[in-house]
Formats: sequence, structure tokens, C-alpha cells
Amino acid sequence: VGRAGAMAAATMVAGGGDFSDLREIKKQLLSVAERSRERGLQHSGKWAAELAFALEPLPLSELPPPPALTEEDARDLDAYTLAKSYFDLKEYDRAAYFLQGCKSQKAYFLYMYSRYLSGEKKKDDETVDSLGPLEKGQVKNEALRELRVELSKKHKAQELDGFGLYLYGVVLRKLDLVKEAIDVFVEAAHVLPLHWGAWLELCNLITDKEMLKFLSLPDTWMKEFFLAHIYTELQLIEEALQKYQSLIDAGFSKSTYIISQIAVAYHNIRDIDKALSIFSELRKQDPYRIENMDTFSNLLYVRSMKPELSYLAHNLCEIDKYRVETCCVIGNYYSLRSQHEKAALYFQRALKLNPRYLGAWTLMGHEYMEMKNTSAAIQAYRHAIEVNKRDYRAWYGLGQTYEILKMPFYCLYYYRRAHQLRPNDSRMLVALGECYEKLNQLVEAKKCYWRAYAVGDVEKMALVKLAKLHEQLNESEQAAQCYIKYIQDIYSCGEVVEHLEVSTAFRYLAQYYFKCKLWDEASACAQKCCAFNDTREEGKALLRQILQLRNQGENSSTDVAAPFFLPASLSANNTPTRRVSPLNLSSVTP
Amino acid sequence: SVHESLYFNPMLTNGVVHANVFGVRDWVTPHKMALLVLLSELGRAGAQLGLLERRRLNRLLLPLLQGPDMALSRLRKAIEECCPHLAGSVHIRLKLMAEGELKDMEQFFDDLSDSFSGTEPEVHKTSVVGLFLRHMILAYNKLSFSQVYKLYTALQQYFQKDEKKDGTDENEMELTNPEELDGKMEKEELDGPLREEEIACSGPLSQKQAEYFLSQQASLLKNDETKALAPASLQKELNNLLKFNPDFAEAHYLSYLNSLRVQDVFSSTHSLLHYFDRLILTGAESKSNGDEGYGRSLRYAALNLAALHCRFGHYQQAELALQEAIRIAQESNDHVCLQHCLSWLYILEQKIFDSCVLLEHSVNKSLHFGLPYLASLGIQSLVQQRAFAGKAANKLMDALKDSDLLHWKHSLSELIDISIAQKTAIWRLYGRSTMALQQAQTLLSMNSLEAVNVGVQQNNTESFAVVLCHLAELHAEQGYFAAASEILKHLKERFPPNSQHAQLWMLFDQKIQFERAMNDGRYHVADSLVAGITALNSIEGVYRKAIVLKAQNQMSEAHKLLQKLLIHCQKIKNTEMVIRVLLSTAELYWRSSCHTIALPVLLQALALAREYSLQYLASETVLNLAFSQLILGIPEQALNILHMAIEPVLAHGAVLDKGCAMFLVAKCQVASAASYPPQKKIEALESAILNLNEAKTYFAKVDCKEQLRDVLYFQARLFHSLGRTQERNKCAMLFRQLHQELPAHGVPLINAFK
Repeated sequence: VGRAGAMAAATMVAGGGDFSDLREIKKQLLSVAERSRERGLQHSGKWAAELAFALEPLPLSELPPPPALTEEDARDLDAYTLAKSYFDLKEYDRAAYFLQGCKSQKAYFLYMYSRYLSGEKKKDDETVDSLGPLEKGQVKNEALRELRVELSKKHKAQELDGFGLYLYGVVLRKLDLVKEAIDVFVEAAHVLPLHWGAWLELCNLITDKEMLKFLSLPDTWMKEFFLAHIYTELQLIEEALQKYQSLIDAGFSKSTYIISQIAVAYHNIRDIDKALSIFSELRKQDPYRIENMDTFSNLLYVRSMKPELSYLAHNLCEIDKYRVETCCVIGNYYSLRSQHEKAALYFQRALKLNPRYLGAWTLMGHEYMEMKNTSAAIQAYRHAIEVNKRDYRAWYGLGQTYEILKMPFYCLYYYRRAHQLRPNDSRMLVALGECYEKLNQLVEAKKCYWRAYAVGDVEKMALVKLAKLHEQLNESEQAAQCYIKYIQDIYSCGEVVEHLEVSTAFRYLAQYYFKCKLWDEASACAQKCCAFNDTREEGKALLRQILQLRNQGENSSTDVAAPFFLPASLSANNTPTRRVSPLNLSSVTP
Repeated sequence: SVHESLYFNPMLTNGVVHANVFGVRDWVTPHKMALLVLLSELGRAGAQLGLLERRRLNRLLLPLLQGPDMALSRLRKAIEECCPHLAGSVHIRLKLMAEGELKDMEQFFDDLSDSFSGTEPEVHKTSVVGLFLRHMILAYNKLSFSQVYKLYTALQQYFQKDEKKDGTDENEMELTNPEELDGKMEKEELDGPLREEEIACSGPLSQKQAEYFLSQQASLLKNDETKALAPASLQKELNNLLKFNPDFAEAHYLSYLNSLRVQDVFSSTHSLLHYFDRLILTGAESKSNGDEGYGRSLRYAALNLAALHCRFGHYQQAELALQEAIRIAQESNDHVCLQHCLSWLYILEQKIFDSCVLLEHSVNKSLHFGLPYLASLGIQSLVQQRAFAGKAANKLMDALKDSDLLHWKHSLSELIDISIAQKTAIWRLYGRSTMALQQAQTLLSMNSLEAVNVGVQQNNTESFAVVLCHLAELHAEQGYFAAASEILKHLKERFPPNSQHAQLWMLFDQKIQFERAMNDGRYHVADSLVAGITALNSIEGVYRKAIVLKAQNQMSEAHKLLQKLLIHCQKIKNTEMVIRVLLSTAELYWRSSCHTIALPVLLQALALAREYSLQYLASETVLNLAFSQLILGIPEQALNILHMAIEPVLAHGAVLDKGCAMFLVAKCQVASAASYPPQKKIEALESAILNLNEAKTYFAKVDCKEQLRDVLYFQARLFHSLGRTQERNKCAMLFRQLHQELPAHGVPLINAFK
């Protein structure tokens, strides 16, 4: 019966990417929110409700009717009502006891779900005072194994509805049976596409684009949300932003969920200004939101916006100070104020609240680094890696730690790891280049700097470093080229921030053109030199020399073209758009 | 409180308080409780036990205390084998406890501490058993109420599992689990992956058990790899261990060693770095102010990384890592570490070019800092290098003897082994096969020092591989091919193909096969072996290729190859190979009938061989020289110099060489007899025939039919000229038989020496 009902629900959902009937979508969202709530799936309910809130309100006549009760439902109603109230009070065992023997889908799900949650709760409680590792392993198995056996029986008999399949998938995942779990989640998404929880679980299990390609997903509008989400997870930011934009265009412009996801996406590609403005907008719409605020604080931290960060910290602290995100924001705040001990303390608190919150490990590592407590930093980073092997910041942090310990060769391994995870992030490449430079491996260093420039250099230092390398190697031609590119880069950005190395670049160029006897260019550069304090004298001297030599020689052509160092078009095409494969630095080492 | 947080809070990992933070490295498990029951029963039984039973039980106890937890049935079986009576009473006590109440268990632990009390306690407090008892009592007393209850339920399960099993099949015991839901349906539904996982998770180890497991496996890896767990299963165990205790740094190190076994660069690097990341933590913990422990592990981390790269042949990377280690060690004035670096530096430099100075310096310094191991390792390397450089043999042997004194003094059994292996190799280099044989046998039949101490025979070290390989080759040279292949089979077992020293025997195996193929004249087989040899040792491979070409009469190709090889070997100062190449070149010349050109080449080879005291090569050169002289028509002179060479060849040479030498002597005798008066001539011919007989037996040993045929022909001619028809006919008949078997090669008989 349940299966048939679910099938009907599935056919109700409009085809993929078809957002023409927003009212229908809203109806579906409202009804699924209700159904999730009935089953105690609060997060999925919240998600659906949030999304529904973003759409136009429905008139009374169109509100979805409460789901019809079947005979079975009626039979189990008393038990269900009692158990649900116990469930809401987190008395899971008690809830499960009264639900024993219930046949209706809703009651059965709540029965199984209570047992699952009870097992999870006990596990968390007991890891604190277990007899040792022996117990830790056993606690996990008990509830899950029984659940798996029962659920798999039902699954074989095709008696599970969408929610039941979801629970079965969760149990499988907890047992580390990833492949089976993915299959079951896909099935759950087919049976009940509206349930966001199943999609979210899929997101966590899919590790690369290839896997995504081979999934057969139901062709519904929910798929768009899923794709957008997973693209963000897989760092395919371009695609993710496109998806989100089309969702906004389809009518979800008010959804805080989408706005926050877009902000996170911008954060991931380090488009800080955009991300910041979107987050501010988000806070205006949803002032008591705590989710994603840790990301926001990271952005504020990077831009050193002390007052804003302080305001955010105080605000969040007022809302709920025992949330992981709050602790993280406060940690960032202290870190920005250079009170690193306190910052570390707050990150530790965040970890106590949620041991699986891996960002805190990395941030704590950074704090220990600031405190020069390298061993603790290494430990913290290692923990971060243990929780998530793909945490490139932790690998990068480990590399930095060893670099501080003056072990450039040793840290190569860590930087390379980070680079493999983020092939088009220039910071790792510059760090790698610096290490190679220290090791006197100039060829590799040059490769790194060049690649850093090619993927879009964030700090704009790669070219200068490359130029200096060329200078060292007496490759004046290439050095000059690099400096020219560097100056073009700076000018095209139109940044007001004074770059230290600009004067160096002009000085070198002036000397270079002087040597090449290109007087016009040389004098242009020398004049530029005069604009900077540290090169003013040199510039003037050079100008005088040029004048002398010019007077000696014949009068050269006088047509002065536009300064060569200004780019022809100001749109520099160096934004990091392409995905590139990791740099193959040396084939023999891992 | 802010200040406290400066140091990393070790109690917080994954948000979970770890038991070992409180110094409890052990905890009570049902298995341990069973052991406790056993101990108390032992105490109770007292004098009733027979001496034999008591001894057996005592021997059983230690592995039980240290080993991983096991199922009750296995434990019972183990006890039953020693003393059935005791097993029964242990079972009854456990049954009473498991089927009784919680208070029975509490009472049991209360009673345990009684064994220490009294004027004459049953158990001494500091004995192994006493320590175990006290550990357990302490661990039990620290348990909270819920933990005690959990322990009790665990005990009940432990016992029930055993009861259930008694009914079912014994073999299936491992697989069934306590909460097995009834009915076979469910059991079938639990498909493969889950069950496998459960087996892997079967034995979470306590810290003590884990330490025992790691040290045991590590020492097995070092001493006798074949006895250790297979790489895959060891890795599985380690992963399991790390899952339950991620801070167990040593497990990462073992995982590194394990990855080295299978030549996995990636995971070995990963594990090594992970280990040191973790070690740095513990170093900082143990000495909270200490830059000492922490900095030290940094240095050794870099050094180990260098070693790893060196092991995988990434010499440039290794050098960079080493430089780093040296720099850090210098900054912190760690001379011991510097010494280690220096030795590694030497090894690395050796891969690139020779540098005696560095090594001498290293030896002196090591002696100064009292590092006997490094010092004698240095001496050994020095000796090896000097041997290649042609230094006086007596001095080298003296040096080895001196360092041997050092080894025996410090009981460095590993170095003793290396020293003997080195002597074997040096004697072989000098061409004294008897001495080499003797040394090889010494090592193999010597009881290692370790054996006395631990009972673990160190027998998968490189020294053993070297010695066994030499032994195989020596046997093959003497024509004992069966024995040689027996030795190689043993090598294959002892050093499985993916292990570190496997390449050694692979090379020797192919070399022996190659020689055999050449002897039999199966050149195509030899040619196919060349590729394999080249893969393992490029110089040797090229040389063999040239030999095959020569044998196939492709003279100009062979010559080209040999010239190239000669230049290369002269550059890398591989004198042994230079001489061999010169010999082969000379052979090429005389095969092309250019004996006059061959002579200076041979003289050059002779001079080199004499200079580097490579005696065997020298005598081989003399043989070649004599042959050239014979062909050039001065057999008397040839005979003269043959006398010089024949003795060492017969004493130390390979059977084939002996045969060739005797054949050559006979030829010279015949040639010089031409000018003798008739009576003397007959005598000369007679003795030539005798020599030919000897040559024949040698050739027969290695089954060289072609040479045999030549000898027979020659002998037949001699008999003919002596008029001994009957013998002549016999020889001729044998010759005819062989001749029909073998295709004739166009080279005139007299012109072939080899």
C-alpha cells in the first residue's frame, strides 16, 4: 500500500527543471514538510518549510488537505500519538516500546527511527565512559545490525516507503556499506523525490564527478537543488553558481537556503567581496540565522573587518552561545585580535560540541601556529586530516608548520598534497615554488610560479617571484617579460593598494631597456621609478644618463606610443575558471 | 586557565576522553577475567598439581597474558591441553559467575586482592602475574557503575557464546556473533562485506596487547620476514588497530615498514610522515618544556625520509632530505644524528661517485662519539671500496679482523653476519673459491648471537642472501646444478619475490641459467635471459649480450658493444668488468685470427688483474695469452706461462675453465713435441693424452658436448700417431656419436680455445 502511495506522490512531482507551476511545487513542499515532521525528520522538514516560505502564499482553497488516514493509521493512531510525544522528548526507547507491532507506514518508520536514534544516543553517551576501545566498537554495532536485518527484509519484500528507504540507507552508511547505501538512497530519491534528507545523504557519499555521472536520478525539480548542492561540495563552483542562478530565476529568489549556498560558493572560489555582500544581505533577511555564519566570519577575518566581526560575534552569542558556529565565530574574533590562546579555547569548545566539525581542527591548528606551538599545531592538523582527508587547508597548514621549522624538503610533501586537492589554487603553488627555490630546484620553482600565475594568482606575487628567479639565472629577457606582465596585472586590477614590488619592477625594466638601448621605453620606466620613494634617485640618475646618450646619438624617432605596459584591454583573462589537473612536479615522489 | 590551554589538551581527541590519559593502559575484558579465574584456580590448586602440569601451565601463561583476547572455547582448549582438571574448575567458576548475579563478580574482584595478603602471599607483588593482577584490580576499581554493569553483561555474552558454540560446529565459531538473531534467514541476509568487516574487527587490542603485537611483528619483519603476517593481512590488522586508537604512532611506523615490503612508495611515505607527525606530539607531551625530544624527532624524521627515498632509488630527493636533516642537526649540535647523516651521505655519494675521504672521516668521528655500530659499518664500506680499488688484500683482511673484534665485543651479531658475507664476496672477487666457500659455510652454520638471546633466528638479512647466492654460483661452477637449484629454491622461499633482497637471487639465478645455456650451446635461450639480467644489472646485461653475440658469430656487433662497455666501466672504475671486457675483446680478435692485436689487449688485462690482485681473472688472462702464443707458433713459451696459471685454475676455477686449461696444456704439449726427438715426443704425447683425459672428465661434469667432441677428436689423432689403434677407434667412435648429435660449427678445431 505504502509503495503505491509513494508512487503516486512521485508522479505528482513535475518533470526535471520544470518550475512553471510554482503553486504545485509549493503544495508539494508544504505537504512533505508536514509528513517529515510527523516522522520526526526535523531537518528535512525545516528545509522544505524554508523553501516553501520563499514562495507566494497559497489561498485557503488550494492548501493541501491533510494526508488521508488509512485503516491501519487509525488503528495505530493512539500508539503513534503517545510515541511521537515521547520521541519529541527524546525518550526514544520508550517511544519504540509503545510502537511495537504497529503496521502503518508512519508508525513503523517512527518505531525504527526511534530505535536508530536511541542507539546513536547511547553510542555517544557510552563512548565517554566505555571500558576501552573494545566497547566503542561494539556499541556501534548493536542497534544498527538489528535494524539492518529487519529493514533489509522489508526492503526485499518491497514494503518500505520513501522514508523507510532513507532510514535503511542511513543504517547502511553507518555500517560503512557505502555502495549499498548509495543504491538505497537513489531508490529513496526515486520513490519520494521530495525528501531532501535522502538527497543530502547522497551528497555526502558521492566523492567525484564520475560517480555522479553514473547515477540514475529521478527527473524532478528536486534534482536541480541536489545538483547545485553537490557541485558546491565537489568544488565545481561555476556549475553550482549557474544552477543556483537558474533556481533564483525560476522564482526562489527569496530562499535563504539558496542565498547562503551562493555565498558559500563564492567563499570557496575566494571571491570575497561578492560573498561578503551576499552574507550581509542574508543577515538582513534572516537576522537570527546561525548556520553558515562561521563561513561569514572567515570572510570577515580574511578582510580584517574587526568591527563587523565583533558585532557578529556578540550577536550570535546572544542568540545561542552553545552552537558550534558561534564558538567558531568567537574564535575567529579572538584570532583577529591576536588573542590566540582564547581563540584556541573557543575552537576546542566547538569541537566538544560537535567532534565531527572538522573546520575547527584546522582553525585550531592555525591558532597554535600563531602561538608558535608547532607540535600542537601539527597534532590539530593531523586530526583535521583524519576527519576529512580532503581538507586541503590542513595539508597546507602542515606544510606551513614544517616550513616554519625550516624543513623545506619535508614540507614539499604536504604542499603537494594540498595542491593535488586544489589544483587551481595559486597559494599552494606559490608555497611549493618557494620551497623549491629554497632547495635550489629552480626549474621546478619556475614551473610552480608560472602555473600559479596561469591559474590566477590571488596574491599577485607569483610573477614577481618568477621574474626574480629569471633575474638570478641571468635570463633577462624572460625576467623583463614577467615584470611587464606583472605591471599589466596590477594596473588592470585597478587596485589602489600600493604594491611594494611595482617599483622594483619598473626599476628592473628601466635598467633592462637601458641595456637594450631602447631609450623611449627606458625613459618611460625611469619616469615611473621617480614616483616611488625607494627608487626615485635611481630613476633620476637613469633619466640623466639616457638624455646624455641620446644627445650623443642621432635623434631617434619621436612618435611616442601609448605606454607599452598598459594592457590593450583591461579585461585580464586570468580568472580561475578552468579546472586544471595537478601539476606534475616530479614523477617519482608521492 | 588560559595559560593551560597553551598546551594541547591531550584528553580531548575527537571530543572523547581517552582511557590511556589516566595512565590505565589496560582494561578488564571478559577474556582477562577468565585469565584471572585461571590464576586464582592455580593458586587454589596449589600442591595438587603435578610438576609437569605446573610447568606446562606456566609456559602457557605468558602468551596468554600478552596476547590478544580469544574466545573462551579456545582458551579452554589451551588449558585442557595442560591440565584438564583445572580447565573444568575454571569453567565451573566462570559459569557460576556468568549465570549468577552482579555481586558474584564484585565478590570475585574483592577476593582477588587477598592473594597478596598474608605472611606468605601466593603471588609476589612485582612478579609478572602479580603485576597483571594488580593492573586488573586497579582497572576494575576505576570503572564507574555503568561500566561495571557493561563488563558483567559482556562476561555473560562471552560465556553464552561459548555455550552456544558447544552445540554448533567448531569451525563456525569465529563467524557467529553473540546477538545472532535466530533463524538461518537473517544469517544469509548478512552478505559478504559486513561479515568480513566483522572478522577484521574481531580483536580490538588493549594498548599492551597492541604494543606486544607491534613489537613482535616488527622484529619478525627484521629477522624473518616469511614468518610475519602477509603484507595485506598485516595492513588490515594495523588499520583495525588505528581505527580504535588513532594516536598509536608506532602502528604508523609498522605500516611504513609493511608498505616498504611491497615497494609502495605512496603509502610508505604517507605512513612515515604520519608517524613522525604523531611522534612529535608525544615528544612534546613527555617533556612539556622540552625542545629536546621534539626537535630530535624532527631531525630523525628528515633522516628517515632520506632513507626512504634512497631505498626507492630517488637519489636526488634523498640528498635534499639529507641536507635538511644535516642542517637541523647542525643547528642543534646533535652529533649523534650528524653521524648517522654522515653515513647516509656516504651511501648516497657512493651512488654517484666514490669518496673515501668522507668515509674515513665518518669512521673516525663515529669512534670518537662511541658509536661502534656506525664505525664498523663504515669500516666495512671502506673495505669494500678499497677492495674494488685494488688495495693490498692483507691490509683489508686485517681491517675486517679488527672490526670483527669490535663486533664480538659489542655483540653486534648483524654486523658479524655482514662481515662474513663480505669476506665471502671479497674472496670470490679475488678468485679464491675455496676460501669463499668456507666463509659462506661458516655463516650458514653459525649460531647467531640473537638465537641465544631471543630464540629468533636472524635469517632474512642481506648477508644471508649474499652468501647463499654465492654458494649457489659456486656449486653451479663445479657442475652441481641440482645443488645450485636447491639453494635457489631455498632462497626463493626465504626471500619472496617482492621482498627487499629478492633481486639478488633473481640476478644469480639468471646468471646461472645463462651459463648453462651457453655451455649447452643454446644461444637463443641465453639471449632471452639477457633481458632479465639487464633489468637487474645493466652492466652485466650488456656484457652478457656481447657474449651471446660473440657466440653467434656476430663479431662486429659484439665488438661495438664491448667497446662501449669498456669505456663506461673505465669511467665508473669497475675494474673487474673492465678485465672481463678486455678478455672478451681479445677473444674476438683471435677468433678473427688477429692474434697480434689480441696480445697487447691481453697484456693490458693481465697488468690490471695483477694490480688489483684479481687472481682468478689473471690466470684466465694467462690462459688466453698462452693460447695466442700457441697459435703464433711459440708453444714452448706458451707452456712456460701455462705453468704459472694452471695451479690457481685447478685449485679455484670453475670446472669448465679447468677443462679448457687442461685441453690447452695438451695442445701446447703436442705442438711443442713436434721438434722433440722421437722418444721424448712419445712421452710428451702420452702425457698430453693423460691431460686430455682429465679435460674430458671436467667437460663431462658440466655436460659440454662440443668441447667433449673436440677433445675426443684430438685424442683420437694422438692415439693414431702413437699407433694405438684400439684406443683410437674407441675415441673415434665416441666422436662419431657426438658428431652426429651436434651440428658442426665452422671454426677449425685448433683455433678454438674456449
